[in-house]
Amino acid sequence: MLAFRSEAHVERWCAQRRIEHGEVFSLEQAWGLGRDWYADRLSPDWRRRTPEEAESIFAALGLTGDFWRLS
Amino acid sequence: MTGIDNDVRLRIYEAFLADGRPPTHADTAAALGIAPDDASDAYSRLAEQRVIVLAPGTLTIWMANPLSASPTAFWVETPRGGYWGNCIWDAFGVVAMLGDSGTVKTSCPDCGEPMELRVAGGELEPTEGVAHFAVPARHWWENIGYT
Repeated sequence: MLAFRSEAHVERWCAQRRIEHGEVFSLEQAWGLGRDWYADRLSPDWRRRTPEEAESIFAALGLTGDFWRLS
Repeated sequence: MTGIDNDVRLRIYEAFLADGRPPTHADTAAALGIAPDDASDAYSRLAEQRVIVLAPGTLTIWMANPLSASPTAFWVETPRGGYWGNCIWDAFGVVAMLGDSGTVKTSCPDCGEPMELRVAGGELEPTEGVAHFAVPARHWWENIGYT
């Protein structure tokens, strides 16, 4: 996952490098992913999330649709 | 996660954050007072469980997500220190794992323009830009280095 200056930059980069255009979303949503996925990583009680739990995190951030499905 | 695997997992992060590089399995064995073979077995199990990523064919830690042992395009400055994140998601994850404030330094892959993304008090400061994920979620672990 990369950060770009704008969606136009994503489109140009994908076209030039023949990289599949995936999902574009806001930097705020990317920060939300980092926060909600990793805030507990140093806890002794941490465990891997189930696919359903992961999808719940994505959905709470507005990241829905087939691209974000794990199950 | 069993006791020894969790102990090894926590020691990996502790050492990685303190030293800025991941510990070898021998380092971890010495720190925990366990046999090197037990530490190497734990490294392998943690990799199988996708808790850490080993460099192919080795016991050398490549990623203890969100941290990267190799330089990447995502440098993260936090009150605890500076670290490499694996991607923009993980770079923000480094900030979140260590508190609620930090700065991610990266650049636009298209034009090379530097980008500084600052988080303060748990909030991302408004910054022009977007995130792009090329690989659908169900395929992330088929090639985690690319993802």
